[in-house]
Amino acid sequence: MASQQPPPTPSDPITSRSLAGWLLLAALVLMAALGWSIYQEEVGLRPWRAYQSRFSRVYSAFLEKRLAERQAAEKALQATPAYQTLRAAADAADRVARPLDRKIEQEVALADQQRAAMIAAFQTARSLVGTLTYDYSQIPDAPGDRSSKQSALRDLQQAIHERHVVEWPAADGTVSARSFDYDQLNAQFNELLDAKARLMQQRGQVDQPVKDAQDKLAAFVAQRLPGLNSSQLAGLLQSAQSLEYSIHQIYVNPPGKTVNYLGGGALVDRCQSCHLGMDPTLVPPSLTLSRADLGLAGSKNAPFESHSERALLQIHPLETFGCSTCHGGNGRALDSVETAHGRYEHWPWPLYYPENSQAGCQNCHAADAWTDYAPALDRGRYLFRVKGCIGCHNYKGFDDQATQLQDAQHSIQQLERQKAQNLIQVAQLNHLGDTATSNDLAQRYYADATNLTVRNSQIETQVDVLDSRSHDLLQEVKRVAPDLKEIRLKLHRDWIPYWLEDTHVFDPYAQMPQYRLQPDEAQAIAAFIWQDAVPGPPLPSQPPGDPNHGQQLLETRGCLACHSIGEGSSRMGGDYAANLSRIGEKDNYDYLVRWILNPRIRTAPYCPFEHRDLTPADYARHNLPFVFDLEHSRCPNDGHELEVQQPTVMPVFRLSVQDARDIASYLETRKTTHAYAPASYLDDPKWFAKGKALVSFYGCAACHEIAGLEDEGRIGTELTDEGSKPLDRFDFGFLLTKSERGVLPDGSRSARGSWHDLKGFFEQKLHQPNVFDTQRYLPNPQDRLHMPTPALSHDDIEALATFLLGSIDASQLPPEYIYSPAGEAAAIQKGWWIVAKYNCTGCHQIAVGQHTGLETLPMYQGENKANLPPVLTFEGARVQPQWLKNFLANPALSPTDTNRDGVRTYLQVRMPTFDLAPDEISALVSFFEALSSQPLQYMPPVIHPLTADETRMAREIFTSPAAPCLKCHMTGNPAHDQTATAPNFLLARDRLRPEWTKRWILAPASMAPGTAMPSNLFRYENGRWVFNGPLPADLQHYQGDMADLLVRYMLQLTPQEQQMLAGRASSGPGKK
Amino acid sequence: MFGDWHQLWVIVSNPDNVPVVALLFLVPFFTWFGLYQGVKNDRLIARLEADPELARTHHRKTQPYHPTWAKEVHVWPYLLRMELLVAIILTVILLVWALTINAPLEEPANAAITMNPAKAPWYFLGLQEMLEYFDPWIAGVVMPTLIILGLMAIPFIDANPLGNGYYTYRQRRFAVWTFLVGLEGLWIMLMLIGTFIRGPGFMWFWPTQTWDPDRIEFQANRNLDQLFGINGDWLRHLLPASWNAEIWAKGLFGIIPVALYFLVAAWVFYKVINATPFSRKVFGRMSLVQTVVMELLLILMLSLPLTIFLRLLFRIKYVWETPWFSI
Repeated sequence: MASQQPPPTPSDPITSRSLAGWLLLAALVLMAALGWSIYQEEVGLRPWRAYQSRFSRVYSAFLEKRLAERQAAEKALQATPAYQTLRAAADAADRVARPLDRKIEQEVALADQQRAAMIAAFQTARSLVGTLTYDYSQIPDAPGDRSSKQSALRDLQQAIHERHVVEWPAADGTVSARSFDYDQLNAQFNELLDAKARLMQQRGQVDQPVKDAQDKLAAFVAQRLPGLNSSQLAGLLQSAQSLEYSIHQIYVNPPGKTVNYLGGGALVDRCQSCHLGMDPTLVPPSLTLSRADLGLAGSKNAPFESHSERALLQIHPLETFGCSTCHGGNGRALDSVETAHGRYEHWPWPLYYPENSQAGCQNCHAADAWTDYAPALDRGRYLFRVKGCIGCHNYKGFDDQATQLQDAQHSIQQLERQKAQNLIQVAQLNHLGDTATSNDLAQRYYADATNLTVRNSQIETQVDVLDSRSHDLLQEVKRVAPDLKEIRLKLHRDWIPYWLEDTHVFDPYAQMPQYRLQPDEAQAIAAFIWQDAVPGPPLPSQPPGDPNHGQQLLETRGCLACHSIGEGSSRMGGDYAANLSRIGEKDNYDYLVRWILNPRIRTAPYCPFEHRDLTPADYARHNLPFVFDLEHSRCPNDGHELEVQQPTVMPVFRLSVQDARDIASYLETRKTTHAYAPASYLDDPKWFAKGKALVSFYGCAACHEIAGLEDEGRIGTELTDEGSKPLDRFDFGFLLTKSERGVLPDGSRSARGSWHDLKGFFEQKLHQPNVFDTQRYLPNPQDRLHMPTPALSHDDIEALATFLLGSIDASQLPPEYIYSPAGEAAAIQKGWWIVAKYNCTGCHQIAVGQHTGLETLPMYQGENKANLPPVLTFEGARVQPQWLKNFLANPALSPTDTNRDGVRTYLQVRMPTFDLAPDEISALVSFFEALSSQPLQYMPPVIHPLTADETRMAREIFTSPAAPCLKCHMTGNPAHDQTATAPNFLLARDRLRPEWTKRWILAPASMAPGTAMPSNLFRYENGRWVFNGPLPADLQHYQGDMADLLVRYMLQLTPQEQQMLAGRASSGPGKK
Repeated sequence: MFGDWHQLWVIVSNPDNVPVVALLFLVPFFTWFGLYQGVKNDRLIARLEADPELARTHHRKTQPYHPTWAKEVHVWPYLLRMELLVAIILTVILLVWALTINAPLEEPANAAITMNPAKAPWYFLGLQEMLEYFDPWIAGVVMPTLIILGLMAIPFIDANPLGNGYYTYRQRRFAVWTFLVGLEGLWIMLMLIGTFIRGPGFMWFWPTQTWDPDRIEFQANRNLDQLFGINGDWLRHLLPASWNAEIWAKGLFGIIPVALYFLVAAWVFYKVINATPFSRKVFGRMSLVQTVVMELLLILMLSLPLTIFLRLLFRIKYVWETPWFSI
């Protein structure tokens, strides 16, 4: 647009404009960014520095306080006369030794000076001679080289004889020139070394008394004031105050595969950079730090505590195992708590949460049945068995007897086939021999036939071995759940469909999980198992018993170690076996009596080769009586081993029939008024096929024995390596997005944010196994997830999750990290599997610190603790192995008088008969011996017979008023034994080990705290044990060991002697 | 499920996607800025054309003329100081980026597990998106080669001498539009689709739709010959028995639509480049080789969106299927 007036001249937009402002601003921003990057470099990316500076502050303060306390205590101790005396002795010794010590010191110094003076000449000469020797030997012995060889030899000899001058220091401080040739140099050098060694040895001898006195003083202080002394504390304080920022790193590069599963890398753990209390160079193992010690009790972000289980670090040294091997997490990362703990999407092995921390133990200890220091993991293993997980899910190492049995049976079948083929071939060969054209040929055929016959008898031997192994294995294999073949005899029919549908309504603690069955499915299954069960013969009818006495027996005989009774807060007993609260609603009385008397009784034996239960007709065909038990366990049809017992772990309590009736009568009273719908359709054959298909589909036969389905396998996923399965292999279904965003299936927020990890999957799956089916369109119920819901508490779920999280593929670990025990430790683990299988710990304390089921019951509190079964922590050291074998086979220790305990007949609670297989018994004996560190070969020591004098003296102690042994120990007199609280001495000879017996009478309380057996019966005097009571006249002059005497007496006690003494004790005054 | 803003935030805040998110803003800005400068120049050019006196003395094409201004300015300091400023600002941006967002490293690779979705780096996402629609041989080898050769060929087929050293829209309307369609309409658009739209299974998720790995998509595509029921029956008796009539029939059939497309597109582009007197003048300077090469490149470029539309609207996989390549 043209304008009349010239516009005002604008300044040139390029040349007149200054960018200085912008440049300044940009430069300032750049400087700020640089400053920021320096800050990140120093602090932001190194958050561990802040932890270290904080730790240095609080730890120094803590140490200062400790040091001041310690110094005051040491000062006080130094003022005591005892200390002064020791101090004076040390000083005196020092004064005596000092002059000679000084002299030797000077001589050593002189020798060192002389050696230093000659070292240059010595090295030169040796190097020259060495080189020339080599040169000479390199020249061949050929005629053409003779002259050069001679010239080299001349050079060498010249070097050997060359003289070297050394400025030699003498004892008086003068220095003179001495010359040496090569040999002299060598000799002199060695002489100086020898002289120094001699002098040092002399000095050690001279200083020994000083050292001894000082050691005494130090021991005195250490005993009075345990813990770190003031100079150690001062040293720690010094290093804490001058703590330099540095990465504290454990670096291990084990051979073979790598730790922390980082293909190719080594183990690099920098955890201690923040967790400074775990660094033994800063905090020695003898010092335990807690947050409260450091004045940080309230802080949530002060990772300075010591390891909560120092003993574990002794077994697993940090420098070998690092941290992440056990705990998971990204040990290399240092830039944030989140990355170091590996709790982000891209770290496949996150730090275990505290409630699952023992999962780390399972990584390497997967073969253990019991892992010390890992109660949650042990609980997880226990639940895996008890809740029947093992029924559907294979887990290597768990109950592999079933697999062994199958293998043995397959081998037998294969050998049988081989044998049959051989027989056919023998006939053929014989025929060929008969028709052979030549004699030679015929001989060869006959020889082959003979060989095959011999081979067949070898096969028979093999089969025999396998059969006897099967015999044991059939005894060992136990099923998770009851035999359903006998339900017609056992159960009220109307109860069955109800149970299938409302398992956890009937019994909230049931071991059987709750299936999600359609009503017709429950009907079909109930009808199938009903029709499939053996119909009879009917059980003998039992007269009713006394329920009150039955209740008393149930509560005292030990049933509650495994079973519980009552519901809610009134529930008591163990969770190893069924809750008995409503058993009256389901069980037939007659069956119950038989079951309580002997739960192993079967109505018919099962033949694994014919895949069916045998009938009396099978026996009759071979003119055999229909008798089957552990002695009559061969099949009349094929000669192989039969299953002759119920595969239950429930043992025989050796009760009288009347007692069994009483208990059964009591159990029959345990019922509610629930009315069951009549289930008349149970006999309707139309359900049979459908029911069988469903039973197969739901895998019922994995836990229960069901006719026709005895060989059904496990239907669940194998869980041996479940914890190392990649997360992507877990089907979160439509909950995937929710899980990533921390929304729980019920819509609430997860406390720990995202639960899209293995822990989250296991927890939700165990809580509600079909949770990942949510929203899916699956009209056919059988297409849905059909894992049933186990009855688990929150803690149970955590324990199982811990177990599963730790169950990783062992090939990912370096083999040397995996715990594969040998010798004693192997015997211990083998035993724990059996202990776990039969729930021995329900009654007995076996490991130190372990708790039993019975000890929590109201009837064993306070005074009544004495009624608990014996503690077995020392069993291997206490009893002789042969005796233990006999006892485990027959705890009554009598073939006829079985309604009692063999040892402690005074106890109400009864050691039952488990019908253990021979190798289970020997494994248990080895287990107990190994637990007590006993050599696996027991050689009983010789016990010298007592002389008449010794007998008299021993008798005096035995009956002394200060130690009235027979007051508590059983004597065989029924009136006395009613109040007795200790075993009969007559058992001791075969049962006890003498060395243990002596230790026991010397200090019983230290072996079994709270025992009624008195301690301090003897005192140690002049190298022998002397009776602590008023010494009877006879014993005043006895010079031997009185404890030994008593042990010898006890182990050789005869019934006559005992009776005589018992008579004296009961009639004598002042004994009661 | 739409309305999942959290999902959108997860995508946008992913460290991998920073460059693409930046593209969302930078590309429109610089497009606008370039066009703005171009239009401004166009106006100046118009003014100079109208005022020959001014045109004679005007030196700086990008600035309105004023007599007191310097006719020429030196590189130092006037250009370099500007470049220094830009260098500083870019350094700051890179520093802050590096300080705030760590390199998005992932877990150790596991051959047994592939990530889902598995995506190329952002600058290759266009290529990956092309693989959705084309035979891998075409999308992975032929097209990238042609893109590179085509870009190299541009200086040799450009017969328009105007617009060197200054921004202009009017003088290079054809070039500007070809650039905008080719780079922004196709290449960058494909990158954006690859980043924001493609979720697990490389399925199509609209923004704010939850990326559900369990989603199942209806995806039953067919070739054009299937739509026409070409199975080679009518050809079988004409061919020796050992020849596969179906392959031949399909191969021969496919030529028809492809040839048809080439002809129609060539005609359309011919019309476009001759639309104005100015463009006719430019076209008149082009040799036959230049014309053919340009037509070919344009036709191939247009085939990309066309194939996408055929796929998305008619579920057609290939128009021309042969055992060696498919289009």
